[in-house]
Amino acid sequence: MSQAVQAGQKLWGGGKSPYNVEYGKLMMWFFLMSDAFTFGAFLISYGSIRFASNSWPDPNHVFKTFPIVGEMRVPLAFVSLMTFILIMSSVTMVLAVAAGHNNDRKGVMKWMVWTILGGLAFLSCQAWEWTHLYAEGAWWGRNPFMNIDGTQSSTNFTNFFFTITGFHGFHVFSGVIINIIMLIMTWKGTFERRGHYLMIEKAGLYWHFVDLVWVFVFTCFYLL
Amino acid sequence: MSSDTILHGHSDVVTSHDVHLDEHGAHHHKETFITKYIFSQDHKMISKQFLITGMIWAIIGGLMSVIFRLQLGYPDTTFPILEDIFGKWAPGGKISPDFYYALVTMHGTIMVFFVLTGGLSGTFANFLVPLQIGARDMAAPFLNMLSYWAFFTASIIMISSLFLTAGPASGGWTVYPPLSALGDATDGSKAGMDFWIVAMVFFVVSSLLGGLNYITTILNMRTKGMSMVRMPLTIWALLFTAILGVLSFPVLLSGLILLLFDRHAGTSFYLSDIFIASTQKALPNEGGSAILFQHLFWFLGHPEVYIIILPTMGLVSEVMAVNSRKPIFGYRAMVGSLFAICILSLLVWAHHMFVTGMNPFLGSVFTLLTLLIAVPSAIKVFNWLTTLWKGNLRFTPGMLFSIGFVSMFISGGLTGIFLGNSTLDIHLHDTYFNIAHFHLVMGVAAFFGMFAGVYHWFPKMYGRYMNNTMGYIHFWVTMIGAYLIFWPMHYEGLAGMPRRYMDYSNWVSFRQFEDLNRFISTVAIVVFAVQLMFVFNFFYSIFKGRRVTTQNPWGATTLEWTTPIRPGHGNWVSEIPEVHRWAYDYGKDGREFISQAEPVGSNESSGH
Amino acid sequence: MSEVQIDAAGHAEPSFSTKLIWRTFWVLLIITVIELALAIIYYETHFLPKHFLNGLFIVGTLAKAFFIIAEFMHLKHELKAMVMTLVFPSLLFIWFVIAFLWDGNSYRDLRNRYDSHHLEQSKTPAAKKPGME
Repeated sequence: MSQAVQAGQKLWGGGKSPYNVEYGKLMMWFFLMSDAFTFGAFLISYGSIRFASNSWPDPNHVFKTFPIVGEMRVPLAFVSLMTFILIMSSVTMVLAVAAGHNNDRKGVMKWMVWTILGGLAFLSCQAWEWTHLYAEGAWWGRNPFMNIDGTQSSTNFTNFFFTITGFHGFHVFSGVIINIIMLIMTWKGTFERRGHYLMIEKAGLYWHFVDLVWVFVFTCFYLL
Repeated sequence: MSSDTILHGHSDVVTSHDVHLDEHGAHHHKETFITKYIFSQDHKMISKQFLITGMIWAIIGGLMSVIFRLQLGYPDTTFPILEDIFGKWAPGGKISPDFYYALVTMHGTIMVFFVLTGGLSGTFANFLVPLQIGARDMAAPFLNMLSYWAFFTASIIMISSLFLTAGPASGGWTVYPPLSALGDATDGSKAGMDFWIVAMVFFVVSSLLGGLNYITTILNMRTKGMSMVRMPLTIWALLFTAILGVLSFPVLLSGLILLLFDRHAGTSFYLSDIFIASTQKALPNEGGSAILFQHLFWFLGHPEVYIIILPTMGLVSEVMAVNSRKPIFGYRAMVGSLFAICILSLLVWAHHMFVTGMNPFLGSVFTLLTLLIAVPSAIKVFNWLTTLWKGNLRFTPGMLFSIGFVSMFISGGLTGIFLGNSTLDIHLHDTYFNIAHFHLVMGVAAFFGMFAGVYHWFPKMYGRYMNNTMGYIHFWVTMIGAYLIFWPMHYEGLAGMPRRYMDYSNWVSFRQFEDLNRFISTVAIVVFAVQLMFVFNFFYSIFKGRRVTTQNPWGATTLEWTTPIRPGHGNWVSEIPEVHRWAYDYGKDGREFISQAEPVGSNESSGH
Repeated sequence: MSEVQIDAAGHAEPSFSTKLIWRTFWVLLIITVIELALAIIYYETHFLPKHFLNGLFIVGTLAKAFFIIAEFMHLKHELKAMVMTLVFPSLLFIWFVIAFLWDGNSYRDLRNRYDSHHLEQSKTPAAKKPGME
């Protein structure tokens, strides 16, 4: 073992990152891994309670309204819009990261602005949806909806819905804040002086993670 | 690559002082008292902060056990002094039931989380990771500092809960609902429970910040030549510990957030079918499951006990190899079994829940996975014993505690095989057998590993030795005392004596243990007193201990002994040494030890 | 340290291809639209068994997760060791999900068997509440 390390082992031989990745990015990845377990625990608890219940409300029936237009014939239309907004903002975020790779400060700023707007749009949609559900009588500990088979539903449908979408919304919110800070730093030329836009990349990882979580929240609450 | 770049890694991390280029060591830094001792970003100082905070916690937690052992050993006697100190908690000199439950709850919480997780990992991961892998500091020194201050905040919140009017949380350290979810259930379910949850949230944050730092540092910042298989076992153990923490603590966080909602937002995640006797009414909460909380809690809780024991396994392996003057036996098997334990520990959580109404077939799967842990554990024990075999043993206090660790680990580990069996557990669950098991295997054993680490690395931490005589007294009294305390508990548990009762005199079947309980309590008080002597030894030696005069007092191979006797921030004065060999070249080619930093000689025999 | 490494490692970091990003976007969008269409069709006509649909939804979700992680988060373009380091711990989710759902299901059976009042309640249609159409 003490002989010269083989060529294949060189990456792990010490003196450099075995992943060829800067420590902050690695840390962000591991943080996201742990955060995935936070969300995972929420969603799996939700699954566990749902499996423990004899019946459950029908999401198509609950989430069927659209602002302004009122009662739409198509259920889930509004949440589709939200999903689209979030995916779109993820795209603009990647474009910002790509611009950062080319040291294109103007490009980074442009795409960061779009990402922030996307995040704010998503949050607004969520605010509207929450307000609407609240007006229908739904809240933590209150559930006006009935099970799909017409029986009395426990409050856990709304409990989990508000807790998990709330926790996700909190992540979106903090993501927007982070993105705004990144935008200001880009605007001030901090990254340009530094010679690289790795911070944008790390913020990007966080932002995509928020999108990733939404994919699962979307499936668990609106589709299944 | 300048050393500055190495320490900072990246210019994102701004440290307030530029210490590492200073050729004159630690004395000329423009450090104020505050940046050096309070808001320090030096991993060595943060480690000492963790250690001393952990020691304060250990004294508090240990004192609590003395108080409830007084009650258990002398259930009919009154101690007027208790009333003088605790007032209404001990009316007439006899502690009240509420106080008793608060004591056992806080004893568990403090010992498990604040001493053996924060105090242990926080101390040794911070201290040893950069020193042993050859880095000038953690990957992110600032986050490392925040990790300590989050721990400190958690400590302050938890300790202030002791002074609430209604008292601290008292539903057991596992805070099972409904006791923890219904604020009116007991005094301990009131504000104390909220303080508990908030403190634990800060604790999780601290543990995550620390863990992410340890992992990244170990993976990314090893010095040249320090390949993964050349790392000392301490580092491997701390790496797996950190991974366990990063994967499992978030689940506790989720569980506690849901618990907070149950307490304050009228939800029923964990509540269903609750009938209140005093009001003769059923609560509206419907559809939750108390078992869900137990799953979430133990998803952390079980890895947690390995978060406690893995670092000590690493410390013990290192101390043992150094003081046997022999390479550790089966290095790769040691790493492999650490890895196996790490994986298995994440899969077996529900063996704490065999009697909760969990699906029995699911329970049998958990039994199988649990019993599998015996395999890597046995490999480790075998390797420790074979490391000792025919070694030139030096019985330093650190070495004695390491050997004691193995003894405790065997004694406590074997009973784990009983308890991991879902059928036997029906009888043994929640009895003193269980108490004896986990105190030996993760309480005393982990403390032994921690003591071994403190005695062994004290010269590196403070440039002085601890007093050996006090060390020997400390070891022998603790070793014998621990067995005298916990061995008899097995018999009590087999006889069915349940835990968490404050007075057994009402049961004919348990009355026979009256003398035994008194004996246990007496020994417990003696052992606690000896721990205070250790604390005295520790602080006395910081200022008055015998000075270390050589760079490498133990003749060890690892990198921390190539630094100056009192290393400054940045650890090495000039270049970080390059590593040329594994960490266990003891007694090779007739030489007593060969430092990792020494290049391989041309006529050196191969080997590791 | 990092800057030096990335430049000197000889491992050319592939820059982000705008084309690939947009392709990923379309893939994600199409999967989502298909999922929605199936959900709505089921709601209107009860086309396809629900369990089968749920399977499709889960597969679709995992596919979307893969694309987000691989392309947007750029993991596909990192070193293989990094991918494995992150994928391996995620496997824990498998047992996490199985054990929790299994026990949730078992808890329902338990209650239905031993709590006849609960079973009866959960079969009785509830009176329509105000606010529901």
